[in-house]
Amino acid sequence: MNRLWKEFSKGLWKELPPFKLVLGLCPVLAVTNTANNGLGMGMAVIAVLTLSNFVVSLLRKLIPPKVRIACFIAISATLVVAVELLMQAFSYPLYQQLGIFVPLIVVNCIILGRSEAFAYKNPPLLAVADGLGMGIGFTLSLTFLGSLREVLGAGTLFGVAVMGDWFVPLKIMVQAPGAFICLGVLLALMTYAENVQRKRKGLAAVQGATHDCGSCGGCANVAKSQ
Amino acid sequence: MKEEIKMIVVLSLICGLSGISLAALKQVTAPAIEEQVLTYVQAPAINSVLSDHDNNPIKDRKSFDVDGRTVMVFPAIHDGKLTGVAFETSGKGYGGKIGVMVGFSLADGVLSGIGITTMKETPGLGSRVADLSYTSQFSGHAADSVKLKKDGGDIQAVAGATISSGGTVSAIQNAIGIFNALKNSFGKGWS
Repeated sequence: MNRLWKEFSKGLWKELPPFKLVLGLCPVLAVTNTANNGLGMGMAVIAVLTLSNFVVSLLRKLIPPKVRIACFIAISATLVVAVELLMQAFSYPLYQQLGIFVPLIVVNCIILGRSEAFAYKNPPLLAVADGLGMGIGFTLSLTFLGSLREVLGAGTLFGVAVMGDWFVPLKIMVQAPGAFICLGVLLALMTYAENVQRKRKGLAAVQGATHDCGSCGGCANVAKSQ
Repeated sequence: MKEEIKMIVVLSLICGLSGISLAALKQVTAPAIEEQVLTYVQAPAINSVLSDHDNNPIKDRKSFDVDGRTVMVFPAIHDGKLTGVAFETSGKGYGGKIGVMVGFSLADGVLSGIGITTMKETPGLGSRVADLSYTSQFSGHAADSVKLKKDGGDIQAVAGATISSGGTVSAIQNAIGIFNALKNSFGKGWS
């Protein structure tokens, strides 16, 4: 149980995908012009990530190591197309908004990254916890970034006006450059917060986003093969 | 050798299963998707090109065969009488197909309006064929020959977007052909 919670919660802050791992930036930058789009994209990623982790974990003893990447891609591509079809059938306006970014979930490095680093080496229950945690962390990040940009760039939140009449929307925030500006400022603030914490503990300051790379398992693989 | 065979079998199995399940899912969701596309992509265009009606054109749609092609026709019915029809045709634009919803008024045989449904024309240039200043030229236009001014007609092309304008005009010309072919079956009313 303890382990399950640990794998679930690491995606929420310690390894928050876009901000700590700085992974999967394509959708992070492209679809977060409104809070709603960020949330919708996040939901699609939660579904694909959790299911692909589950399937990969179930099949992990069956998939030969040499073709594992091809198998991961086939599995996640199937799930993405399924999500795309369901989205078209039940939530067409969202599909029109997200457009090309839904099929692009296939090559979102978070999906492949979690399959390779976690699901391929762990039992299904843990893999699902990992996928859910990472997916929820991703969704929260996207929704937060989307809210920030929507409030600054359009004066609304989830389509409801929240700023007074005095507010002049900064159009640039809902366009592509606004995504980079917001993400950069957020990363800087997160690093600053971390350094304040580290200073209290008497540790040296860090530069840039950090994460505990030990949990990835990539290094362990390299060590084994040498 | 054993490993190679296992690789081939596992990968083929995964891909095969994926294909089968996606094909099944596609078949199951197809009617729902068609309904959604009609509601969100075509309904606004249909309602803007049809003259006043008190029915739901999407619910009352019917398919007709014209020269081996199937055309989905949306009717405008007022007080139980068929007053107009609309259907979509397409013409070749600058960035691919331009879909045009063309509405006809049955009483006087003129175009009741056109609306652009899908296009990938250059934003700010070719995309202006969707603007009211361009499309309103067709409202009330006789349903015989629609031509751009440069070809001797009376349609003012969007400045700097002759190809996009030509695409919409050829789509409308197409629609007029279909309308003339189906005119007699429309005369019998809608049931």
